[in-house]
Amino acid sequence: MSNLRKTYSETYDKYVKKIYRFVLLKVNSAEIAEDLTSEVFMRGWESFKANRDKIENIQAFLYQIARNLLADHYRHEAKAQLVSVEYAPPLPDRKQDLEEAAFLQSDLERVKAALSDINDDYREVIVWYYLDELKVSEIAKILNKSEPTVRVLIHRALHALKVELK
Amino acid sequence: MKQSQLVRQLKSLRETKPSDNWVAFTKERIFAAEPSPVGLRAGILSFFPVFRYRLALAPIASVLVLIGLFGFTQNTVPGDFLFSVKKMTENAQLTFSSGVEKPQIQLKLANKRLEELGRIAEGNQVRNLDPTIKEFQLNIAQATRDLAAFNINVTSSDPSAIKELVAETRKLAENKERIESVLGAVIGDTGELNSAILQLEKQTAAYLIADLGKRTLSEEDTQLLIQARDEFNAGNFATSLEKIWILSNK
Repeated sequence: MSNLRKTYSETYDKYVKKIYRFVLLKVNSAEIAEDLTSEVFMRGWESFKANRDKIENIQAFLYQIARNLLADHYRHEAKAQLVSVEYAPPLPDRKQDLEEAAFLQSDLERVKAALSDINDDYREVIVWYYLDELKVSEIAKILNKSEPTVRVLIHRALHALKVELK
Repeated sequence: MKQSQLVRQLKSLRETKPSDNWVAFTKERIFAAEPSPVGLRAGILSFFPVFRYRLALAPIASVLVLIGLFGFTQNTVPGDFLFSVKKMTENAQLTFSSGVEKPQIQLKLANKRLEELGRIAEGNQVRNLDPTIKEFQLNIAQATRDLAAFNINVTSSDPSAIKELVAETRKLAENKERIESVLGAVIGDTGELNSAILQLEKQTAAYLIADLGKRTLSEEDTQLLIQARDEFNAGNFATSLEKIWILSNK
């Protein structure tokens, strides 16, 4: 147990920031990103204890948990939105919208916003390839796709982001 | 926005990171539910619930070893390697006993030695014969010394103690006779012991008869006292004490 703990502790230190960033760029909320990221590592630890030998690539394994949790999160969000308008939050006023728009003027914020709006597959490959600097072969393993397919996906993802930013 | 510019912007997003506090807190939370590792063999030993409490393990193991050791040594006889452990427990028993109990325990130990001599004779363990006879004689000598040191106030307040002493002495005499016939040799003189017992019986009976004579007794009790006095005058001190004991416990 002591060895397992040590290994997983090192894994946590190595990947926690990447997983957090991966989640945050999708959900655009630090609070939700923290909750989901801690859940990723909790589930990861449970599986790691039980099936350590079956986990070939811990990085791919953690990203896979994160993807599943994000999918669950949005599934749950979609259900939550199916409520009566009486219970819906009030619409923001126009003045606040303008302030937010001003804030989003910075290029970085625009990129972040655009990233959260594009297709999930595209956002994931962009984060992995450009931010996490994963090799195409590593991304191919995570997505269980061939390397040429991943290259095409990265190319299309970047194109989609550019379109979103226009 | 050009592609190179966009890639540069994307790379600058690497600076996005959670707070250090959150990172540390979450790590603690993940491992908090886990019991702390207790040692190399924890995986195997934790199968047995008692081994989960490691702090209790050492004292429990020590007590178990001691119980096992004392149990094992009960079968040893003088001259055996572990007899000293058995002797240690016997000495401890004597140390924690009261003055009245001491000679009685010595006599019980002497009886025990006689039983051991019987086993030695049966098993033809010649090597253990001499040490056991010596131990027997030591017990008898000590019992005699303890009896001689008896305070009359102690024995008179508990005549039943003398009754038990007498019973133990009788048992000892019977055992000694039996063992001597098996071995074909005299294993020790109990004359002094018998004299000491007799003296004790005499002193105690005399004291108690005198004491009871000063009291107002029922007719039945007076008859018992008369019988006790008669037995005393006839030299049957043990029987005299027997009567006094019945009278005292009515």
